[in-house]
Amino acid sequence: MWWKILIFAAMSAVIIAAFMTPSPMNPAISLGDADVYRIFYFHVPQAWVAALAFVLSMIFSIKFLKTRDMQYDTKAVLAAKLGLVFAVLATVTGSIFAKMTWGEFWNWAEIREVSIFILLIIYGAYFALRSALPNAETKATLSAVLSILFAVSAVFLIFILPRLYADFSQHPSDSVVDREGQITMGATVAAIFFSSLAVFTALFAWIYNVSLRIAKAYDKNLPEN
Amino acid sequence: MPGSSVSWAAKVLAVTRKDITAEFRTRYAINSILMFALVTLTVISMALGLMTPDSDLMAALFWVILFFAAMSGLAQVFIKEEEAGTALILKLSTEGLVIFFGKLIFNLLLLTVLSVLIVPLFIILLKVTPQNWAVFLIGLVLGDIGLAGATTIIAAIVAKATVKGALFTVLSFPILLPLLMAVIDITKVAFGGGNFGDISTGLQLLVAYDVVMVTVSVMLFDFVWRQ
Repeated sequence: MWWKILIFAAMSAVIIAAFMTPSPMNPAISLGDADVYRIFYFHVPQAWVAALAFVLSMIFSIKFLKTRDMQYDTKAVLAAKLGLVFAVLATVTGSIFAKMTWGEFWNWAEIREVSIFILLIIYGAYFALRSALPNAETKATLSAVLSILFAVSAVFLIFILPRLYADFSQHPSDSVVDREGQITMGATVAAIFFSSLAVFTALFAWIYNVSLRIAKAYDKNLPEN
Repeated sequence: MPGSSVSWAAKVLAVTRKDITAEFRTRYAINSILMFALVTLTVISMALGLMTPDSDLMAALFWVILFFAAMSGLAQVFIKEEEAGTALILKLSTEGLVIFFGKLIFNLLLLTVLSVLIVPLFIILLKVTPQNWAVFLIGLVLGDIGLAGATTIIAAIVAKATVKGALFTVLSFPILLPLLMAVIDITKVAFGGGNFGDISTGLQLLVAYDVVMVTVSVMLFDFVWRQ
């Protein structure tokens, strides 16, 4: 109960702070209106949660294959479902930002848009397989194998994509980290951004826990904890 | 059979030979793959008509044709066993990895036949010639190995599903994406007349991809096969 209230309060504080403080982008060098860059406080944490959920889902898949314990399958599916929701949110907010600053909703030459799209396809394929398999045991095993294969492929993409897209990326990177990986945000921006990151992660954890409890209530075979 | 004197390689080749014999009797996969490739190639070359697209686009089109042709037939190796009800007998006869490599080699042979037929047709119909044959061929060989190596386990997965054909493409695409990007890059260089210096990173990536994908498949195959 207190979790819910705490997340609500913190999320409200982040939203208020995001709009009451000056824009994270210097108006002198921003493309389009500098206010548009406030979406960064929400878009980046959403993308982060989507990636986190993908990794979690893969870890649960490996645990399932090792232990054959159905509760890990339930966990992997829940993480994937939430990851899909956050990936869609990150895609939509990113696309709106792209329209307001670069003038188009979608551009295949932009590496971050390509990566999030691949993440969406991976989630889509995962659920397509699950709905096409007959029984729970097969579903759990085969989708766990698939999610590990996807993770391996994702590692290759992390290496190959930046190489192919090296000299064309409009995505703002200076607002968080520069090309050398140094954090270049001002103190206020950093405070709001990292609070937002924490709140979005907490929100993910909270929804995940509630869904897990619901799943356990429906399925008596799953252990209580 | 465990304990018998038959070597591991001989068992793998026996599985491949069984599939080749069955393929010659039924022509289950080869006809659909070849006709699919031919139709795609015709659609592309007729649609392009008198246009003369640059060689970069040709490299992409070449792999689009190979990708979809491969997707139309490579899943058959496991689907036919499930449909004919022979999967169980195969499971009893030998261990999983023998089956995996036997099927992988069979799929590789299918892709080789496909490539041998599609490359001359592509060159004749689309009027594009690789400026550097060595680069082109090494890209093609590593690409075929990657296609077969990464999708054999997916074929085993979709064989258990209720909708098979469409699912195979959907599941394979995210896994094949790094391969396709690397191999299209290499083919571009080959069509453009570059040499090995231009593709060294691409080659490293392809070899790494082929090795890693086959290794991961080997580690995971028993989970799928014993299901």
